[in-house]
Amino acid sequence: MLEAKNITKTFQSEGVKTPALRKVNLSLQAGEFVSLVGRSGSGKTTFLNVLSTLLAPDSGQILYQGEDVTGFSAKRLNSLRNRDFAVVFQFHYLLPCLTAQENVLLPFMNGLGPVGKEEVERARRCLERVGLAGKEGKLPGHLSGGEQQRVAIARALVKKATILFADEPTGNLDKSTGESVMELLIGLKNEGLGIIMVTHDEDYARRADRVVRMADGTVLD
Amino acid sequence: MNILTIPLRTMRKKWVKTLLLLSVFTLSVVSIVSLHYVSRVVGESLEKKLTAFGANILVMPGSEKLTVSYGGFSMGDMLMGVTDLRESEVEEKILSIGYRDRISVIAPKLVAMTRVEGVAVGVVGVRFEREKVLKGYWAVQGAFPTAPNGVLAGARAAEKLSLAVGDSVELGGQNAVVSGIIAPTGSDDDSVLFAGLDFAQAAFGQPGLVSFVEVSALCAGCPIDDIVAQIAQKLPDTDIKALQSIVKQRMYSVHFVEHLILTVSLVILFIACCMVGATMLSSVNERIKEIGLLRSLGFSQRGIFGIFCFEAVLIGMASGVVGYFGGYALSLKVLAMLDMTKEASPSMHPGHLALTCLLIAAVSVLAAFVPSRKAASIEPSTALISL
Repeated sequence: MLEAKNITKTFQSEGVKTPALRKVNLSLQAGEFVSLVGRSGSGKTTFLNVLSTLLAPDSGQILYQGEDVTGFSAKRLNSLRNRDFAVVFQFHYLLPCLTAQENVLLPFMNGLGPVGKEEVERARRCLERVGLAGKEGKLPGHLSGGEQQRVAIARALVKKATILFADEPTGNLDKSTGESVMELLIGLKNEGLGIIMVTHDEDYARRADRVVRMADGTVLD
Repeated sequence: MNILTIPLRTMRKKWVKTLLLLSVFTLSVVSIVSLHYVSRVVGESLEKKLTAFGANILVMPGSEKLTVSYGGFSMGDMLMGVTDLRESEVEEKILSIGYRDRISVIAPKLVAMTRVEGVAVGVVGVRFEREKVLKGYWAVQGAFPTAPNGVLAGARAAEKLSLAVGDSVELGGQNAVVSGIIAPTGSDDDSVLFAGLDFAQAAFGQPGLVSFVEVSALCAGCPIDDIVAQIAQKLPDTDIKALQSIVKQRMYSVHFVEHLILTVSLVILFIACCMVGATMLSSVNERIKEIGLLRSLGFSQRGIFGIFCFEAVLIGMASGVVGYFGGYALSLKVLAMLDMTKEASPSMHPGHLALTCLLIAAVSVLAAFVPSRKAASIEPSTALISL
């Protein structure tokens, strides 16, 4: 479903070039859960950003359902990010001025057309799915860290994305809350969602179908 | 709920910043609107006051001037085809021009020469009530004539003829009474006697006729040349002259006030724009996480630009409405303090309100353009790296 071929990425700051990715390859099947592990600076977050089209690679191909997305126009990329790809960050990044339900509905608010009743119902069901039934009207400031991360996951699910990119989704949570988030991700994987997760935690990484280790911008195994 | 929910909720959440921005812009609009109204009234009032110091258009009979000399003998300049003007016709036609509302005073005059006890003197027949408006600078010893045979004597003429207030004088065979003597003005007015126009027409056998007509026009809203052209069209057989120096002097004073106000308004608007621009720019930097998130959710650059511009437009529109009414109220208060409400008062117009709102909204978008563009051009990866 998703295949990265020979991805390279180099950052340049004040004339100094720092290679972040060196000809990295990866493939993900539908409903597969892959975890990316490695030390800080190994290039795993950069790789996740490139895979989720948030960062353009210097060279290489990212094939999604057979099409190279690196050549997509801005419009097609926006459409891809809005419908097919979903991203969950280490920090939840909810808009503080919107309620939990409105934050979940954000992907539908990308235009002047009003959000329909069907979408509102879907957002309610997504919140229910992540265990936040009854908290639809709460502002992020009134939710715990784990609940906020669940809202972010619900937001990623609401458009029925095919791939979820998660960048250390448990990194900012305590053990028990992190555990519940992991259970949620495994449940979503079982429902057919493809997941690529960056993590430092070996225990969480082992629960994925496949563990990909990175070091110095390359995949080790 | 749609994309505009985001800026609306953000403004509500950050109400202190929104209120501050709204206050700055509203105060600017209040200042500009009140300055505009006050300057208009002050300008009109100033022009009316300046109009009291003489006419700015002369309507004279059409003539052909010839310089004649023969056999070494010069006969000097001779005027051919001079015919006096008919007062009623001239007045009616002047009052039928397009710019008739700009005509302040029409002062017809009949000039005649006569002898008083053997001394030659010029007599000018005038409408005293109009002359009083036109020659606001006249200082009359005695009083303006009220009787049909009353005359005013210029200072030099009175001295030459040894006239005093209450003296009788014979003009064109008819008896007149000196009701006042004009203090020296340093102009031609000092050397003549002013009689009522009807009296002069009867005394010099020229009923209904005048030698020339002085017109005073208010020129704030139109160029004097346009008024002259319109009068010339209605009175084709006359010579019409605009006294440009007088017009320019008056309009300089009026325009000076207008230019001063315009400059002050532009400075205020510029400062307000800088404030809005700086606030929006800091808002963009503050909300870079939000921008990164929205871009990662597939929001287009145009959508992000719209979110920030919409905030500016809302603030601009609200400031426009509140500022317009506030500015109008303030102008009334200022004019009352200047004791100018009797001379003219500003009128509220829905068109002005709409124009103010549109203009301020446009200016606020202009102020927010650079920050909004910056927000729109942020790539999600850049925003994410900065997180």
